Amino acid sequence: MALLEIDGRVFDVDGDGFLTDPQIWNNEVAELIAKADGIEGMNDKHWSVIKIIRDNFEQHGNAPMIRKICQETGLKLREIYELFPLGPARGACKIAGLPKPDGCV
Amino acid sequence: MKSADNKKRREEALELLNQAENSKLLTNLNACVRCGLCAQSCMYYKALNEPRFIPSAKVDLVSSIYRRYYTVTGKVAPALFGAKSLDQDMEERMVDLLFGACTMCGRCVKHCSIGVDIPFVVRKGREMLAVMDMVPKSLQSTVDAALNTGNNMAIPQEEFVDTIKWMEEELVDEMGDPEARIPLDETDKELFYTLNPREPKFFPLSISAMAKIFYAAGESWTLSSKFYDVTNYGFFNANNGEAAQIAGYLYDEIHKLRGKRLILGECGHGSRAHKWEGPNYLKKGYDFDIITVVELIGEYIRTGKIVLDKTLNSVKHTIHDPCNLVRNGGLVNEIRFIVNRSVSDLIEMSPYGDDNFCCGGGGGSLAMSEYNDRRLKIGKIKADQIAATGAKVVITPCHNCVDQLLQINHTYKLGVTIKTIAEVVADALVIEKRIKD
Repeated sequence: MALLEIDGRVFDVDGDGFLTDPQIWNNEVAELIAKADGIEGMNDKHWSVIKIIRDNFEQHGNAPMIRKICQETGLKLREIYELFPLGPARGACKIAGLPKPDGCV
Repeated sequence: MKSADNKKRREEALELLNQAENSKLLTNLNACVRCGLCAQSCMYYKALNEPRFIPSAKVDLVSSIYRRYYTVTGKVAPALFGAKSLDQDMEERMVDLLFGACTMCGRCVKHCSIGVDIPFVVRKGREMLAVMDMVPKSLQSTVDAALNTGNNMAIPQEEFVDTIKWMEEELVDEMGDPEARIPLDETDKELFYTLNPREPKFFPLSISAMAKIFYAAGESWTLSSKFYDVTNYGFFNANNGEAAQIAGYLYDEIHKLRGKRLILGECGHGSRAHKWEGPNYLKKGYDFDIITVVELIGEYIRTGKIVLDKTLNSVKHTIHDPCNLVRNGGLVNEIRFIVNRSVSDLIEMSPYGDDNFCCGGGGGSLAMSEYNDRRLKIGKIKADQIAATGAKVVITPCHNCVDQLLQINHTYKLGVTIKTIAEVVADALVIEKRIKD
């Protein structure tokens, strides 16, 4: 357990910077986490990815497959890696307020 | 009641060191002469500069317990002979240093004046912690996912199948051949291929790359839709019963599908755990051939099954050597043979090959959020190595390394691209069109 301070707001996060309590997440929190990771100003493409990840988490309790993100946003794989330089897990899932996925990510 | 449980678990942990006939264990517990040569070989000591991170100090945690309970001098005069009790303080230090400050990369072994197998002792300490239920939560959660679902990211079978079908459609488009395939659950194929679950879940470009290579080679191969996971985090949590169960999944599946050769996807620890440790976990030998995909691609190049044009990869590349494939797996030259055929501008890191530094994410540390801060600090050593090469692309045949490199690329603003070996080879492939008019 650690604390992450962004623009005066303090969040409880795990050692990797993922929110400890996914329920405190909202769009403003997403923007703050993105900013801490060097993404200044999320555009529509960023939001379309975040929304699918968040919806999947709320319905199924986990992160969606990258296939679902690509097919539902119409974005190419490489575009997603460019939008989120830390990748779909450490980048996008963290901004969407999910717990860190298991495995080599 | 709880303290009775603790006492029993401690006794079980101590029993792991009570092996008078185990010469490998006794040699490694007794051989360190505290010369200190290992200190500068270790990323943790170099980056964090505290004596507790010196590899010999980690070995001493385990050997001091051995002396306390299993040597006459240690029992009679523990303080005089550096013998320590297994108590709560010791357990906490073991968790912190053996799980939280060792990637089991083995670089210290190469620098040890007498060749103590330090990661072997570290893993023995982890085994003791595992029987006491003291594996860090996030690491155990990755093992549990593999035990319960067959893959360490708990990907449901139907979602995996949908992803493979999607990759297959892309392959058909890219090859311009409606017969291009990514076969699932097919029997009697030459190769049974395996993946790191992070490929289907988040990073499938390496699946497309391998599918292209298999297509170009005209290979007879298949994936299983259920047991395709090449990882075995039981190697890291050091619960040998769990490691055996995970190893058994691939063993049983290749028999079920009657595959002839098990091909280990690009994963350092997975290759080591299945190829070298698997028969020990399972207590039986393999009756099928088992090789890494690196060796398979080398074979394709030598036999002319695939043709490469290295001018297709013309920017400056460098190689990050995964510890479990190179220092602990013998593939230093094979990786270079493939890369030299696939890229036209290669620069080595310093040091490279058997003496290269770990990415900093080995030993299960990438899964352990508890030690994220340390992992990024030691990753600075790798970041500096990469920056010094001036390369634009870092090639590494291990998905765990890829993820750590992605993170240090971001943290230290390196501005490089990280690729697996399959991706680099696929980009250099010269494929004859097989369209039938």
